[in-house]
Amino acid sequence: MAIRALDDLVVVEFAQMVSGPMCGKMFADMGAEVVKIEPPCAGDEMRAHPPFPGDVPHPEKSGSFLYLNTSKKSLTLDPSTPTGAEVFRKLIAGADVLIENHQPEYLDSIGLGYEALKTINPKLIVTSISPFGQTGPYRNWKGTDLIEFAMSLTGYNTPTMVDDPERENPIRAPGHQAEMMGATAAAAATMFAIFHREATGVGQWIDAPCWQAIASTSKIEMAALTYARLPFSRMRGNVATGLEPLRCKDGYIYTLWAADTHYKALKALLHNPVEMESEVFDLLVGRQANDDVLRPMIRAELLKYDTEHLVSEGQRLGLTIGPVFTVAQAANHPHLRARNAFIEIDHPIAGRFQYPRSLVQMTATPPMPTRAPLLGEHNAEILSRLGYSLDEQQRMRAAGAI
Amino acid sequence: MAKTATALPLEGIRVADFSWIINGPQIAQWLATMGAEVIKIESQVYLDIGRINPAGMADRVAGPNRNGYYHALNYGKKAITLNLATDKGRELADEIIRKSDLVLECFPTPAANKLGITYDRVRAVKPDIVMISVSLLGKTGLEPASWVGWGPMACSFVGMFDAQGYPGGPPRQTGGTWPDYAIASAVTFHVLAALRHRNRTGEGQWIDASMGETVIGQMPELYMDYFINGHDGGRRGNRDDAMAPHNTYPCAGDDKWIAIAVGTDSEWDALCRAMGNPAWCRDPKFADRYGRLSHRDELDAHLARWTRGHEHIALAHELQQAGVAAGPVLDSVEIHEDPHLWEWGFFRKIDHHEVGERILPNMPVRMSNVPELNYSMPPDLGQHNREIFGGLLGLSDAEIKILMEQKIIY
Repeated sequence: MAIRALDDLVVVEFAQMVSGPMCGKMFADMGAEVVKIEPPCAGDEMRAHPPFPGDVPHPEKSGSFLYLNTSKKSLTLDPSTPTGAEVFRKLIAGADVLIENHQPEYLDSIGLGYEALKTINPKLIVTSISPFGQTGPYRNWKGTDLIEFAMSLTGYNTPTMVDDPERENPIRAPGHQAEMMGATAAAAATMFAIFHREATGVGQWIDAPCWQAIASTSKIEMAALTYARLPFSRMRGNVATGLEPLRCKDGYIYTLWAADTHYKALKALLHNPVEMESEVFDLLVGRQANDDVLRPMIRAELLKYDTEHLVSEGQRLGLTIGPVFTVAQAANHPHLRARNAFIEIDHPIAGRFQYPRSLVQMTATPPMPTRAPLLGEHNAEILSRLGYSLDEQQRMRAAGAI
Repeated sequence: MAKTATALPLEGIRVADFSWIINGPQIAQWLATMGAEVIKIESQVYLDIGRINPAGMADRVAGPNRNGYYHALNYGKKAITLNLATDKGRELADEIIRKSDLVLECFPTPAANKLGITYDRVRAVKPDIVMISVSLLGKTGLEPASWVGWGPMACSFVGMFDAQGYPGGPPRQTGGTWPDYAIASAVTFHVLAALRHRNRTGEGQWIDASMGETVIGQMPELYMDYFINGHDGGRRGNRDDAMAPHNTYPCAGDDKWIAIAVGTDSEWDALCRAMGNPAWCRDPKFADRYGRLSHRDELDAHLARWTRGHEHIALAHELQQAGVAAGPVLDSVEIHEDPHLWEWGFFRKIDHHEVGERILPNMPVRMSNVPELNYSMPPDLGQHNREIFGGLLGLSDAEIKILMEQKIIY
C-alpha cells in the first residue's frame, strides 16, 4: 500500500455538483478524510445526472457522481436547521478545511459564514468556490458552467478557426471545464493555505471563482491586446497554422504548422506535392496571405493517408502532430493502458467499472481513488464520533435533520 | 523562527525551474506568487518562445524583455541564463539543484534526456528532491511518451476535440491552450502535497504529469459513459442533459453573443417575462423542463430572433436582474474593461522599465490572510545572474566574467 500524503487532514465538503466535489475529491484521493455533507433525502444533485448504467436513473449509480466523490464519507445533514447547524459546528471544530460552493452570503445567512466559523476554529481554512467570486458586482449573478466558460476569452475562442462567425456560435468545451478549473485552482490555493497555517498557526478564507479560473487560461491572448495592441478576434486569431482537426483517410489528425520548418516537414510528410512547392508558401506571411489557396490543397492531400502513418511519420519529421481520437480510442490506447491511466473500482450498488485514475501521476504518494459513499453511509460513524448517542441520532433522523 | 501571519506560504522553498513556454512557467508562477524562490533557468541558445513570439511583443518592437506572453506567465520569478549544452553549464545546474527543494521541467523526452534533466539523474544529485516533469502524454509508457506536442494536442488525443463541435459537424478545437493551465493548477496541488510529504518523511518523489491524463480526469461524464455504457462521443454543441434553453445566442453587432442557461420552471418564467411574454412562450410544449428539452432547437430559434436585437452586455445584466443565468461572450477588449474583474482584483497594472504601463492578469484566487501575493516584475533575461551565481553558488565576479565570455552563463 502506497503512502497517503494528506492522511492527517480532515476536510468537510458542503458542496454539490462539480466544482466543490472535484476539489474535495483531490484531497480525498490523497488520503484526507473528506466528510461530504449531502442534503437529506435526495443527496448531491449530481446523483440525478447521467451517465447511468443502461441510462436508467438511480441515486447511487450516476457515473459523474461516482467519479467526483471517490474516497469520501457521506453525512446527510441540513445545516440550515438548528440541529443541523449544531452538528455542522461540531464537525468544523475538528476540521482543517471546509470546501463549499454555495452562492456567496448563503453560509452567512444561516449563521455559518467564515467569521462565525473562525470563532469556533481559528485555524480553519474555508475554501469558497463560486461562479464569479465573493466580491464584485456580479457576485450574486447566477452562473453555470456554460455561462462561466462563454464569458471567458477561451469561450469566445471555442471553436477556433471559425469559417462563418454568423453561423458558428461559441460553444463550451465538453464536460464542465470552467467548474473544473475553479476546482483545481481552489485545491492549489487550499494547499498553499495549509502551508501558511502550518507556519503561522492561522487559517483563512479563500475566494476561488470559476469564471476567473477559466478566464486566466487565455492569459497570452489577453497580453496580445495590452502589449501588441492586437485585439483578439475569432476571425483572424489563428490563421495558416493548422490549428484545427483535419480529415485524413480514416479519421482526423491535429497538427501545428506555424513555423517555416514545420511547413517544410509537412510537405515532406505529404511527399512534396507540386502544388505546395510554390515559394510563396515558404514564409509564414505568404502562407497567411494565401490561406484560401493553401488550406484546401493541404486538406485534399491529407485524405490520401491514414492517421497512424501521418502521426508516426510526421513525429519522425519533427512535426507536432497527433491523432484526433474518440473517447473509446483513447480509453483503449496501449500507451494510456501502459501508464495505468484508468483504475477499476467496485461499488456495491452501481457495480464494477473503470474510472480515470488521477490528474497527475506521482511515484511516492500517488492519488488512490476508492469508491464513492452511499447517501448517508457514514451518518452513524460520524455522529457517534461527535458524541451523539444512538437515541439522539434517531431523533435527528425523525426530525429530518439528517 | 516563526513566520508572521502575513508571510507568504512558500517562503524558504527554492525551485530550480528549467521549464518554458506555458505549462511549466504557469506552475512556477503559482509557486512564485505564493512566495517560493523560483530560479528560472534560460539560455540565449534557445530563448523561451514567450520572449520571442511576435504576437506578444510590446508595440511590436522586438526585444527579449518586451513580450507580454512572457510577462503574463513569469512574474514573481528570478531569471538566469545558463547554457545546458555545455558540461560546465550542466555542472552549475547541478549546483543549483543541490540547493533546491523542487525541480521543474517540461521538455519533450529526448531533449530532457540529452540535457540530463531526468528524475534518475536529478535524484542522484539531490536524493530528497521533488521533481515535476510536465509533458503531452507522460514520460513513461509507449511511443507517445516521446512525441513533441503542445497543449491542444493532448485534448485531441483524449477525445475532447472529437466530443466538441456542432451536432452532425466535424470535430473542432477548444480555444487557447487550455490544458497547459489545467495541468498547472492540478500539478500545483499535488506538488505541495509531495513537498509536505517530504517535510514530514524526508522522502522525495517524481511527479510525471501528462496533459492528456489531466484532461481525461476533467471530463468524467464522457469517460464514465464509455466505461459504464460503452457510449462513445457524439458532438452536441452547447446542449445540456438537464437544461434548455442552454446555448449562446447572437446579439446586435458583429460576432456578439450571449450565453443563456435555464434550469428551472421559475427561471423559464423569468425569461418569458423578460422577453415581454410573447405568444410562443405560452405554447404548452415549453411548459415543463422535459418539453423544453425535447423542443430545444425550436426554443433556440425563437430566442435567437429575440436576442438579435439586443446589446449582449446590457442584455446579460437585464436577464440576471430578472433571475436568469446569462452572461455576455466577451472579446479581449471587453474582458479588459469588465468592471467585475477589476473590482475583484483579476487584473493588475504594472509599470515595466522597458515597456511602460501594461495590464496583466493576477492569479485567479484571493486569500484573506495573504492579501498581497508576490507579483514582482517579470525578470529580464539573465537579470539575476549575479545574485544566483555570485550569491547562491558563491562564484567570484572574475569567475562569472570568464563563464560569460565562454558562453556558459549565456
